[in-house]
Amino acid sequence: MTKNQFANARYKYIHNGSEGHYNDIDEHHIVIRKGSGYVFFVCLLICMLLVHTIYLCLQRGMPGYYFGCGMLLSAILVRSSFQKLVVKESVVIFAAFGVQLETHYRSGRIDRLFIPIHKILKPILNEHVTPVTCYWSLALILHGEEEMMLAFKEKQLPLKMLIPIWKALCAATGNGEVTNAIAKMTTD
Amino acid sequence: MSDSRKHRILMVSDFFYPNFGGVENHIYYLSQCLLKLGHKVVVMTHAYGKRSGVRYMTGGLKVYYVPLRPFFMQNIFPTFYGTLPIVRTILIRENISLVHGHQAFSTLCHEALMHARTMGYKVVFTDHSLYGFADVGSIHMNKVLQFTLADVTQAICVSHTSKENTVLRAGLPPEKVYVIPNAVDTAMFKPAPERLSREEIIIVVISRLVYRKGADLLVEVIPEVCQMHSNVRFIIGGDGPKRVRLEEMREKHSLQDRVEMLGAVPHAHVRSVLISGHIFLNSSLTEAFCIAILEAASCGLLTVSTRVGGVPEVLPDDMIVLAEPDPGDMVRAIGTAISILPRIDPQTMHLRMKKLYSWHDVAKRTEIVYDHALSCCNQSLTDRLSRYLSCGAWAGKLFCLVMIIDFLLWHLLQMWQPAEEIEEVPELVFHNREESWNVNEDHGLI
Repeated sequence: MTKNQFANARYKYIHNGSEGHYNDIDEHHIVIRKGSGYVFFVCLLICMLLVHTIYLCLQRGMPGYYFGCGMLLSAILVRSSFQKLVVKESVVIFAAFGVQLETHYRSGRIDRLFIPIHKILKPILNEHVTPVTCYWSLALILHGEEEMMLAFKEKQLPLKMLIPIWKALCAATGNGEVTNAIAKMTTD
Repeated sequence: MSDSRKHRILMVSDFFYPNFGGVENHIYYLSQCLLKLGHKVVVMTHAYGKRSGVRYMTGGLKVYYVPLRPFFMQNIFPTFYGTLPIVRTILIRENISLVHGHQAFSTLCHEALMHARTMGYKVVFTDHSLYGFADVGSIHMNKVLQFTLADVTQAICVSHTSKENTVLRAGLPPEKVYVIPNAVDTAMFKPAPERLSREEIIIVVISRLVYRKGADLLVEVIPEVCQMHSNVRFIIGGDGPKRVRLEEMREKHSLQDRVEMLGAVPHAHVRSVLISGHIFLNSSLTEAFCIAILEAASCGLLTVSTRVGGVPEVLPDDMIVLAEPDPGDMVRAIGTAISILPRIDPQTMHLRMKKLYSWHDVAKRTEIVYDHALSCCNQSLTDRLSRYLSCGAWAGKLFCLVMIIDFLLWHLLQMWQPAEEIEEVPELVFHNREESWNVNEDHGLI
């Protein structure tokens, strides 16, 4: 069982898999490191909302239930923000069976989606352009589906982290001759 | 040329495929020839409908269709600083060495050149049009051009007349401006295999039917020519607001059987229309160059054109009959053209055009301009600001302020997203023989 990993300021890539062409279970994880900063920002916003609500209640002599509503709203906002926070995304390749896409949330919830291997036509790396930036994404073209399936919900993942996952998917889905034509990418 | 002199060029303009026109064709053909010379070329333009994102065209030409909505006449809304992040991202990820903007009327071009200069890149600008000096629109346009060209490294114009016009409008030193004419794809525009019979003389007009293209002149000229020459027919291709006037003229003079109106002609069908005629008529009131008469000459047609702008520089005297933009003079010129028609050999004309104009030659000359631009020394912000100050008493100060803000925003952007965080795009090498994608082993990815 081999374990490779490398990281940058925002993301950490972890690969758990066996050496050789045929891996029974090949796990690729991307841990999102920016969570703490995001949590701080959300809490700051909630605090500002609370302070503003308290100020309104005191200045305008509003009934106490407005204050209670403000507290309740803040609590709901904090809870929903935390629940939606993604801490890790995984692509688990089960040789000859399929691919499982996992999304781990801060609340502990894990969303899993299994795609049988025969349903995957080809994994591709897509280049996206927005009005302010460009980024790459890993997607799966599925048989009989018009829409591609994104492997990761998180946008703007580094290409260096997507490439080994893409290579592994190509090998697992029978696009291995394409991978063989590619020069080795060093994962610095 | 050694590998070390291979450039990485970003072409920027609001005008590109899937639009068809002089500027669009120029960018496309120039890019293709530069790719064949071994340079890397990337094009940046705005999205056209659903055509948004990254596309690859023939020869591996990469095009960024940035999702910015066109605002007025195919141009994006001028935001000054709105395009800074995306331009910076593309310049870094494609490892660009030089930015080449096209067309004075392109907002995206002006903004991209401004940002590129702020970030220290060398920039080249190509002006494709002639503009006036007197009307409100031209005055504003010229001021914008003065701002962009105040700090441009080199400029290119498509004719000597265009160079004079650009130098006067923008206050640019003439030694910074190169003249590189457009060209024509002679492989696409070939004469008809068999010569047409001269029993009936067919005059072809293909242009946008707008005021600028002299559609009003046609309304005066066509009835007179039809009256003087009973064996002359007209074929008019194109559409526009002046089409109604031409149809009214046709009705008024009962010329339905002698004037055929085709409507808008797709660019792919232009050649088939041209080879059905003997004479090509161009009645433009202003033209920096006029690629249309090149296409007509390449198809073996004798050209009759108004003597405006850069048109007299385009064709040799024996291939074109020039006239003043006056109905009487144009009728005389058409009569002269009809009389010299027996001396015209379409195949000979085509072969001459092949030698005179080629996009490969344009690319080689443009390459020299790039070399000169890259050999220019780098300048600090203070040196560059002094150039903007000379643009006018108030305008100069305003331009300096705009550039200072751009500089500060650039530094903010560098702090927010350092250049090291922007990954370079892997190289894709397109081999024409194998017609397949291969991988540059240094970068290693399909």
